[in-house]
Amino acid sequence: MDDAATSPGSLIVLAYTVRRLFSSIVLLFIGTGVVFYLTSISSNPELLLATCPPTRCGPEFRAEMTEMYQLDKSIPQRYVSWLGDAVQGDLGTAVRDGRRPVTEVLGERLPKTLMLAIPAFVLTGLIAVGLGVYSAVRQYSFGDNTLTAFSFVGISMPTFFFGLLLQVFWGVWWQDWTGTRPFYVTGYHDANFMDIVASLTLPVTTLMLVTVAGEARFGRASMLEVINSEYIRTARAKGVSERKVIFRHALRNALIPLVTIWALDFAALLSGSVITETVFAWPGIGSYFLRSITNYDLDPVMAIMVFTAAITIAFNMIADVMYGVLDPRVRYD
Amino acid sequence: MNLWRSRKLAWSGLLLAFVLIAAACGGDDDTGEATTTSAAEQDATTTAAPDGTTTTGADTGTTLAEGDDYCAGGGEGNLIWAHEQEPPDMHLDDPANNLTTTAWARQALLDGLYGITAATLFFPELLAEEAVMTDNGDGTFTATFVLRDGLVWSDGDDLTGDDVKFTFDAIMALGPDTTPDDQETDPDPESDFIYLIGDRTGYDTVTEFAVTSPTEFSITWSAFFGGWKAMFAEVYPSHVFDADPAVAAAEMNDAFREWTLASGDPIPTSGPMMFESWDRGVAMHFVRNDNYNGSQSPDVVNTGIACVSGVDITYVLDTDAQVNSLKANQAHVIMTQPQQQFTELATDANFTVNPQAGPVWEHWGLNILNVHLAKTEVREALAHALNKQQVVETLYTPLFGDLLPAAGLGNTYWMSNQPQYEDHQGEAGYGTGDADAARALLEGAGYVAGADGVYEHPTDGRLTLRVGTTGGNQLRELQQQLIQAQMAAAGIEIVIENLPGGEYFSVPFGGDPTIWEITQFAWVGGPWPGSQTFSYRTGSGNNPYGYANADFDAKADECDQIVDEAEAAVCYNELDLFVTTLGPDGESGLIVLPLTQKPSFYAYSNTALSAGAISPDANSAGPIVNVVDFKLAG
Repeated sequence: MDDAATSPGSLIVLAYTVRRLFSSIVLLFIGTGVVFYLTSISSNPELLLATCPPTRCGPEFRAEMTEMYQLDKSIPQRYVSWLGDAVQGDLGTAVRDGRRPVTEVLGERLPKTLMLAIPAFVLTGLIAVGLGVYSAVRQYSFGDNTLTAFSFVGISMPTFFFGLLLQVFWGVWWQDWTGTRPFYVTGYHDANFMDIVASLTLPVTTLMLVTVAGEARFGRASMLEVINSEYIRTARAKGVSERKVIFRHALRNALIPLVTIWALDFAALLSGSVITETVFAWPGIGSYFLRSITNYDLDPVMAIMVFTAAITIAFNMIADVMYGVLDPRVRYD
Repeated sequence: MNLWRSRKLAWSGLLLAFVLIAAACGGDDDTGEATTTSAAEQDATTTAAPDGTTTTGADTGTTLAEGDDYCAGGGEGNLIWAHEQEPPDMHLDDPANNLTTTAWARQALLDGLYGITAATLFFPELLAEEAVMTDNGDGTFTATFVLRDGLVWSDGDDLTGDDVKFTFDAIMALGPDTTPDDQETDPDPESDFIYLIGDRTGYDTVTEFAVTSPTEFSITWSAFFGGWKAMFAEVYPSHVFDADPAVAAAEMNDAFREWTLASGDPIPTSGPMMFESWDRGVAMHFVRNDNYNGSQSPDVVNTGIACVSGVDITYVLDTDAQVNSLKANQAHVIMTQPQQQFTELATDANFTVNPQAGPVWEHWGLNILNVHLAKTEVREALAHALNKQQVVETLYTPLFGDLLPAAGLGNTYWMSNQPQYEDHQGEAGYGTGDADAARALLEGAGYVAGADGVYEHPTDGRLTLRVGTTGGNQLRELQQQLIQAQMAAAGIEIVIENLPGGEYFSVPFGGDPTIWEITQFAWVGGPWPGSQTFSYRTGSGNNPYGYANADFDAKADECDQIVDEAEAAVCYNELDLFVTTLGPDGESGLIVLPLTQKPSFYAYSNTALSAGAISPDANSAGPIVNVVDFKLAG
């Protein structure tokens, strides 16, 4: 055990991880700077003040806003100040959400986003792998062609359209046909476990659509590459059963390229799906992001953008490290 | 007096500016492709009131006889209203708040001395009868109020004149280091008040507030204030706040944000609902006030407590999803934009689309500081070339039927559904799309048609005018394009230059001709139209038209001082003639081309509900203002 931990290979991975960590921090620093600048010039609180009549936005309010957003300072100065607060866990105030700390609001919203993201991620992975394997093993069969067609439809279909379609199908048509409505079409309902499941089903299905379609195509390509490789041919020549060839020898290696995709998809899901959460009135980070933009609520917008950037960079790094761990052919130096 | 007047005008104007922005930035991008039943087509029910008289209310599908229980046969449960905007907090006067959606939610929580009907008229709400206004003969005026007997708060405490006095004292409470004398010299007196309220107009001229019994009190003003009935639109419960008004005002600022007292209890209410909880991002929950004093609104059938056991306001940002929620019976009521969302609902027997004309009105405002628009002939040519009927027929009639006058709106002080309304522009022959009359006027002013048909003036150049509004508002953009074509037929070139909402209203609002030539947005009318005056007054910071007329200003002062409502109505109509015609002001008049009212409407499910409620006006009411009439299907 100790030998393994201190082996040259482990040390190389550790060194690579530390190197990536530092480069990620630099990347995050640059990314937050860009995001802060763009957010500052687009969600401009000065505009809110300019359009708010003095009867409602009196001197005290204006002073409060000026202090809160440091409107008397340049954008770089504001960024440095924001960064200083952010590293101490202060992401600002959600002015348009009861003037609560942004961290408090995100603390409420993130679990709801996770409730969508985790089932969507797990189910997507399982279904996409299954479909990818099936398509690769039965390449150019009717089933493969059908799945290919559905994959392209899934990739091409706008999320908001599919979400609304699900609402109409299950909420309106199904109800007309059967007199029952198995799923909630909007909102988060938590009266009991089945209520939660009924709330989750349609948004999770919507989230899965595009990712399943994309990952299935990717899985198919990866699997095809593997099952046409020499070692698989060798295994078959040795008389290994087809099931064992596919699931023990081919699938394991075919999954390696999918790790990167999964990492990025999970990062995207964690950051909140703006469209899906909005269509289904799901109280997660994504819908809050849109609401904050429309309300000119600068701090939450900035916090979510930075959170998204950090998650993306972190999972990119994890994917890179995992890729090397899973595939010994990959060298870190 | 001068100080009072200037402050009053300033606050009125600034309030108007906010209302303007709220109305203009409503995010509607309506089109008028749909069809629906108009209010006139909907059956009204007639019911006997306890005194034996009859009451006409909304379409409930039932006729209520004396002694009948309105709620009988209805199902138990909460009314679910799906709405896109979640209020930042419940403090109506928080600058960071969204006024409209908060006001809509509070409509079901707190009653006021007067309410406003769907026809934009005042009715006594907490009052037993109309208050009596007396001219004291020394310039001061006193109104005597009588509250209804037996009024109580939702927690059972008596609601008395002391609560009204408390409300007044809290609104006017000053900070600890401020005295009334300081107010006279302070350049920014509003900042010295504690309670956050946008407008103290009317409150600030009260010289005496006397409570003579639990149900009787009187208020004396230093001068007559025409909008006195709009004051105390909410009365606050004194028994849950500190007796010291300054302390109470600060407590109220905190408590109203989450509708929760320092003790953790919700603020008691006088309306048909009580606040229960707020799951941010998901829903706000109200529960029925079983101590409700009953409604006196002429719009409702049910004069008792609400039939529904509560209200859930669920927040659904996407308007398509709102419609799907309604269709899926997951929501019972929606009130959203744009109009085309209601197209399918309006023709479906399972839903009622209920519109009211409302007080929000669209207009084209002419900046007379522009070299062309300074000429009366050009303004009159625009008025003649404009075809309001085509605008109404194309964009409004398909969805709202004959709810609005086919000839469009012809008055800026009174709306078409108010009894005081007179169609001044129609009577002047404007708004009929008379291109020949327009051309004749232009040619009389020295304009000559160019090769492309657009007129040119020998010294002032090509007759091209920019019109602007908040970009992304589909209804307005369609209106602009329609009118642009109408003007082109008369040789007037209209260039459409829209800006994003915030940017559009961030420019100076004082009639700068380099910014404003023709502006299109909405003003909001009401039962007291005097506040409209501020946008026309000389030098007003809220006057985008560059209008300045001392006679108008004097007449406006005169109108605001008239106690008799009928006489005041006549006066405001005379005032309107200054700005919508060339009658009283042949040189600088005719600065506004009112187009039409923009109806408010909502849709409710006929399958989930056995009775709906009359649609609210678009000003400050929302779907639950008449919540007592909603009845779930049994």
